[in-house]
Amino acid sequence: MQLVIDKVSKRYSGGNWALKGFTLELKPGVLGLLGPNGAGKTTLMSILATITRATEGRVTWNGSDLASHPDELRAVLGFLPQDFGVYPNLNAVEFLEYLAAVKGLDAATSRRRIDELLNLVNLADVRKRPLGGYSGGMKQRVGIAQALLNDPQLLIVDEPTAGLDPEERVRFRNLLSDLSGERIVILSTHIVSDVEATATDIALIAQGTLVAHASPEELLRRVEGKVWEWVLPSADLNTAKQKYLISNTSRRSDGVHARVLADAPPNGAQPVSPNLEDAYLFCLSHHRAGVAA
Amino acid sequence: MNHPRVLYQMVRADFLERVRRYSFLLTLAFAAYLAWGAATGRVVLRLDEYRGVFNSAWLGSMMTMVGTMFISLVGFYIVKNAILRDEQTRVGRILASTPMSKIFYTLAKTLSNFAVLTLMIAVLAVTALFMQFTHAEDAHYHLGTLLAPFLWVGIPAMAVTAAVAVLFETLPVLRGGVGNVIYFFVWVGALAASDKKGIDDYAGLFVIAHSMQTALKKVNPAYNNDFALSIGDHTQVTKRFVWTGVDWTAAIIWHRMLWILIALAIAAVASLFFHRFDPARAWSFRRKKSPAAASTNGDAQATSPIAEGRPSAARLTPLLSEARENRFWQLVMSELRLMLQGQRWWWYAVALGLLIAGAASPTVAARSGVVTAAWLWPALVWSQMGARESRHATESLIFSSARTLNRQLPAVWVAGFIVATVTGGGYALRLLASADWHRLLAWFAGALFIPSLALALGTLSGTSKPFEAIYTVWWYLGPLNHAPGFDFIGSVTPVSRPFFYIVSSAILMTAAYFARRMRMAYA
Repeated sequence: MQLVIDKVSKRYSGGNWALKGFTLELKPGVLGLLGPNGAGKTTLMSILATITRATEGRVTWNGSDLASHPDELRAVLGFLPQDFGVYPNLNAVEFLEYLAAVKGLDAATSRRRIDELLNLVNLADVRKRPLGGYSGGMKQRVGIAQALLNDPQLLIVDEPTAGLDPEERVRFRNLLSDLSGERIVILSTHIVSDVEATATDIALIAQGTLVAHASPEELLRRVEGKVWEWVLPSADLNTAKQKYLISNTSRRSDGVHARVLADAPPNGAQPVSPNLEDAYLFCLSHHRAGVAA
Repeated sequence: MNHPRVLYQMVRADFLERVRRYSFLLTLAFAAYLAWGAATGRVVLRLDEYRGVFNSAWLGSMMTMVGTMFISLVGFYIVKNAILRDEQTRVGRILASTPMSKIFYTLAKTLSNFAVLTLMIAVLAVTALFMQFTHAEDAHYHLGTLLAPFLWVGIPAMAVTAAVAVLFETLPVLRGGVGNVIYFFVWVGALAASDKKGIDDYAGLFVIAHSMQTALKKVNPAYNNDFALSIGDHTQVTKRFVWTGVDWTAAIIWHRMLWILIALAIAAVASLFFHRFDPARAWSFRRKKSPAAASTNGDAQATSPIAEGRPSAARLTPLLSEARENRFWQLVMSELRLMLQGQRWWWYAVALGLLIAGAASPTVAARSGVVTAAWLWPALVWSQMGARESRHATESLIFSSARTLNRQLPAVWVAGFIVATVTGGGYALRLLASADWHRLLAWFAGALFIPSLALALGTLSGTSKPFEAIYTVWWYLGPLNHAPGFDFIGSVTPVSRPFFYIVSSAILMTAAYFARRMRMAYA
């Protein structure tokens, strides 16, 4: 099971490049695709989900080119788009039955699967309620269920936790971890904590290019010894922000505790263990500096 | 908040949003087509065997009548999406949170509709001037005379059309496909009433026609008041007469301006029904909430808190390979279910009644009348075909499934064909019993044609509106009035053209296939 993204670029009308020469090779596991807004994550997801074509480059699924054999991937693809609709007059069971038929699943199997999925996403109690009356979070859970209908080998989820309450977010993260065994899961998000909880690999994307591809541990190693906690008076915070990359601040009785990313510590700062958010900001900052140079 | 500058900004934003969409090019293309039709003699205004000399008065009035006749019909369907667009773009929710009043909003939408329709009329006005130059029948250009009918007739007609479109959008029953079908009959009824009673209709046809008829009577006292604005038939025009235009008296202008006041009143009435983007109200019109929905009205409560042992993906039953086979008929049944979802019991009762009446009516004429009605009844079911995915934003879910183009699209067509054969089945059974093969073939061609037309228009446009408008007009001209070439049911043998409709169906299906293929990144 292998998904290869080979020098993929995408240009939209107007000449705007959303992706440029993006290359990545994926094997079973959960890939967290992290990047700021407008980085090209959704474009990449759309290309991988056969929704849109790459302008340049190619994508292969188990050696088969997506452009010439899209159905080979579609048959084993589960896709949760960032923005999708539902048929408001159908209830969750009817909607999933319809999509199961579109995916070519037989009636008996799909009925059993739908029951299980509705339990899994915690919608069993409202299964007969028309989707038009669902909240945003409930619709999102229907979207998660439909992505799992055909037991996908490649599961692509684009901003899946948007609109979910904290409890459902935890539930979904656990679900992704369970699913990650013998399949490729691509989790696209800008929420670092989602990736931290589930990803076995992380790809950082910015301005349409791959900034880094590494395991979470490797990314953390990159910022080892570069994260500092610095206690400073509130009045000095703005000056400090201009001088240093600050990933977090919290106000306490002794002043502002700032988390600083720097090769050398500010005066009086203490070293702290890095987290994934530090690594993410550090890599992005380096990338921007490189582009600017 | 509710002062003229804000009104101007609202109208401006809505107008710019429309004219910067590609679909607006189609709108202008329609106006250009009308203009081209009139300029090349394909749209003819004749009084018995006469037409007027192409002077400023005649051309201005003729083009105004062309505009008010056709744009008041087609333009309605073009602009009847002003509120819907705010819903779809979710801009409406932002507007709803401002101090904007409801009447202010419906007035702004009416003015925006009016601006679009007036732009179409303006295309015709420019063409009128161009025609006078190219036909060169009268070298005297009177700009005021040429533009007066556009001003006094065209503008009020567009104002009414614009306001009615907003009213239809705010009325829960009329905002969808039902409204699209009903408007056609309202439009026909309004024109017919003014024609019979000689009243000043909103399209202003009578004002101009009466003036022309009076002038012609002076030239030819034997003139029988025959008056026609038709497409394609110009062979009957053999004579010309000079008409110098309507005498725009204060009384006439006052009557015309009255229509603008009526348009404003309609916009005000529309505000009474405007839901102000309240999702609860919008939803309640579609389907009553279940008691559970009404009680929680929000996110579902977790039935099994995480602490009690979370459900695991490991519990999902693995799918065997045979479970993934190509089950076309299962998909057809799913599409059929989806098509008929939400229909109430009375919808099925009427369809069943028409089915039985189609079989049981004593005469061929009665039976063909029943099948004519039976094939209008599911118009809104067919109109979803090909457009549903776009309308409900499920394209990304469906287009990323395997063999969508070769399975799902044909399944939609077959489901539509089943609806046609079942609803018109009573009539077909009688034809079969009486071995009336020619009519049966015509009926079969009709059953092929309807879903093909729906699927083609749905996939091409991504909305249900073109089918609802075109099919209703086609149904009115053909099956109801047996206009030659339009009768796809073919119940009247001399005008029946089954092979034409079979070939047309094939072409439409091909068009639907390629339209869908173009929307998908990979076929």
